[in-house]
Amino acid sequence: MLRFALTRILMSIPTLLIVALSVFFLIRLIPGDPASLMLGDLADPASLADLKHRLGLDQSIVVQCAIWFGNLLHGDLGQSITTQEPVLPLILSRFWVSAQLVLVAVFIACLIAVPAGVVAAWRQNSTVDVVLVGTATLLLSIPTFWLGLLFLLFFGLKLQWLPIVGYVSLRDSFNEGIIYLFMPVLTLFLHEMGVILRMARASTLEVLRLDYITHARAKGLSEGQVLRRHAFKNAFGPTWTLIGVVLGNLLGGVAVVETVFTIPGLGRLLVDSLFSRDYPVIQGCLLFVAFTYVMVNLLVDLCYPIFDPRVTAE
Amino acid sequence: MRIVYSLVALAALSLPVAGPVFAQTITASIPADIRSTNPGVNREDTTDAVVMHVIEGLVGYAEDTTVGPLLAEKYEISGDGLTYTFTLRQGIKFHNGADLTSADVLWSWNRYLDPKTEWRCLSDVDGTNGLKIESVAAPDPQTFVMKLNRPSVLFLDTLARTDCAMAGILHKDSVNADGSWNKPIGTGPFKLDEWKRGQSIRLSAFEDYKSPPGDRRDGYLGSKRPLVKQLNFIIVPDSATAKTGLLGGNIDIAQIQESDVAELQASPNLDVKVLQNAVRHGLIIQTRDPLLKNAKLRQAIAAAIDYKELVATVTSGLGTVNNSPIYPGSRYFSAAEKEGFTYDSQKASGLLKEAGYNGEPITIIANKRTTVPSYPVAVIAQAMLQAAGINAQIEVMEWPAQLDRYNSGKYQIESMSYSARFDPALAFEQIAGSKEKQPRKVWDVPQDQVLIDKLAVIGDPVERQPIIDQLHKRMLEEVPVIFTHNENDCVAFSRKLQGVTPWQSKLRLWEISVQN
Repeated sequence: MLRFALTRILMSIPTLLIVALSVFFLIRLIPGDPASLMLGDLADPASLADLKHRLGLDQSIVVQCAIWFGNLLHGDLGQSITTQEPVLPLILSRFWVSAQLVLVAVFIACLIAVPAGVVAAWRQNSTVDVVLVGTATLLLSIPTFWLGLLFLLFFGLKLQWLPIVGYVSLRDSFNEGIIYLFMPVLTLFLHEMGVILRMARASTLEVLRLDYITHARAKGLSEGQVLRRHAFKNAFGPTWTLIGVVLGNLLGGVAVVETVFTIPGLGRLLVDSLFSRDYPVIQGCLLFVAFTYVMVNLLVDLCYPIFDPRVTAE
Repeated sequence: MRIVYSLVALAALSLPVAGPVFAQTITASIPADIRSTNPGVNREDTTDAVVMHVIEGLVGYAEDTTVGPLLAEKYEISGDGLTYTFTLRQGIKFHNGADLTSADVLWSWNRYLDPKTEWRCLSDVDGTNGLKIESVAAPDPQTFVMKLNRPSVLFLDTLARTDCAMAGILHKDSVNADGSWNKPIGTGPFKLDEWKRGQSIRLSAFEDYKSPPGDRRDGYLGSKRPLVKQLNFIIVPDSATAKTGLLGGNIDIAQIQESDVAELQASPNLDVKVLQNAVRHGLIIQTRDPLLKNAKLRQAIAAAIDYKELVATVTSGLGTVNNSPIYPGSRYFSAAEKEGFTYDSQKASGLLKEAGYNGEPITIIANKRTTVPSYPVAVIAQAMLQAAGINAQIEVMEWPAQLDRYNSGKYQIESMSYSARFDPALAFEQIAGSKEKQPRKVWDVPQDQVLIDKLAVIGDPVERQPIIDQLHKRMLEEVPVIFTHNENDCVAFSRKLQGVTPWQSKLRLWEISVQN
């Protein structure tokens, strides 16, 4: 198990290296630079040249790249051009905000969507199945920003139960934090529930058609036992993989939901840094997102044997 | 049922948060986080607006955009225009309780003039752009003296500029022992309590604040009393969320889009005020483009646009046409500046024929930022130009990419907005100049530049007016730029707030009280 994990971690290094290099060069290919944006319509050549010099943007891209990689090897992701904050603590503080939102939403979505998907498969073509699949498809089809605005209007404006703007960290105040997280979590949860439910249903359906399920039924096992002992364990693999992918995607930041609900998460940081061409933050964020993605998927792979004993981590 | 119980529980928990606005707090929404608390160093408009509640300079802008004394009681300019002597107001305290003296002014100015501070406006006073502060001195505790290398009618404007942070006077404890920035300890009506990055900025009333003289608010001058205990600036990047927050009572005051004015005005709990400011929107034309270097073609474009229709559409009926770079609130906005381009489709057709135009495509570059009408102006102008027989196309770009094209001069037409400039010399300088030296300049006619340079050294308004009028006329003839209208400050606020008046896109939350 340990060897497998180490191998996977080592294998991720080239991936991260390629991501880092690609991001570094691609972002500089896009027109526009942070110095021009900071000066706006006042960018006389002298001021622009001076600012570029101060930001180190007057050096060749290769030199800039070498400096960044040198610092990266020392665990230093640089300093934000716009806020002048160190990038790594900035990313970590924003990641914590996104993580608490995403983990809670995905956890609740799994708790509901996986059993619902199994039930839908078990009762294929019944009213229950049609309702569940229809709901899942509907939730999946609604853009999160629109769903979020609907919740703001309903819970915030109409009922006045929840605050429309603002954010409180769970670390600062658990009760208040929950209140501020309720709508964004609900939005994400509903959207992701649709994704997971459909996958759980499809993989369960596939398993339910296999011979050993017929055999289990022929042995006289109850439907509940068949589903729990034989169908679910075998069908959960693809869903678990999907959960890993969903988590990896969402932990990289849920910019739309964060923007609608004024949550200072990683997604908003990335979008803001893109608009201001804050190169160090963009590079740091994308590298961190890639790292998170790799780690989440590694964890998912390491958890496989828990659900399916046939799979080993060797 | 459990869900219902949960929602009820959540509703109970949320009461302290979603309840009525606290009587002594104003919650204002801002569209983006501030960049820093370091005045005039790492900033943009939102940063300036927040920081201006905390700091004050020697001089500031009045409502009519003239410059007047702020921390200074008065200032005197020597006969040769080279020496500025500022006498400080008595009894002013910093937020840490220390008295303001000329030694603090001297310390602040030495800091601004030190290149290590990276003050944005240093190049305007260190000789880079011609004008240089030769020396600063504090001969006695109430007097501060600045000596210049040459007279300039724009010097006080530079000191008052908000992007220069009004050259705000700071206490030396604003920086750490190693000289690095800590936090602003100023003399403004509010002091900085807390900045939660990405979330909010909280300011509290400065109880020992000594307001400038005056019985009413006057730009950054006049009465500036803090009338509430706390200001809370919340970062709300999405305008739809800000609108919902206003309607729901979570936000007390916010700048809104013109398209939302009618809806929010209809709300019983909200009031909306709209006032024109000095930001200008319009189309800039590349006079070195092989096609558009033909003045007749540019004149045809100007004649093909129905300005009233365009402005009414993009401003939801709230805007008025202004083809001049001079702000309508300026004392220099005279009858001549009111004369603009005339929409005349027949004239446009004739000019197109004279120009020898054969339907070559002309591209208008625009961006879709919600804070400026770049895209709507481009779309409507395109339709009007096409109706006149001009093959206008639109290329939509992200703002940084458009700015890059603007700075390099690589465009045909751009739908563009210019930040506010109050003095006419600065308003013309923004667009005019040598394209060789600065490709971003749009108006490059040496004889007109002579007039602009003249404007920068003449202080007498009576002498200035004919030059401004002449420049305006020349701009209408040359058509390097077609200004369509000025920006509207649309401020929506809770009816509980008393004393709100929009001004130059800056939220000013002093002299505003909350009625319970």
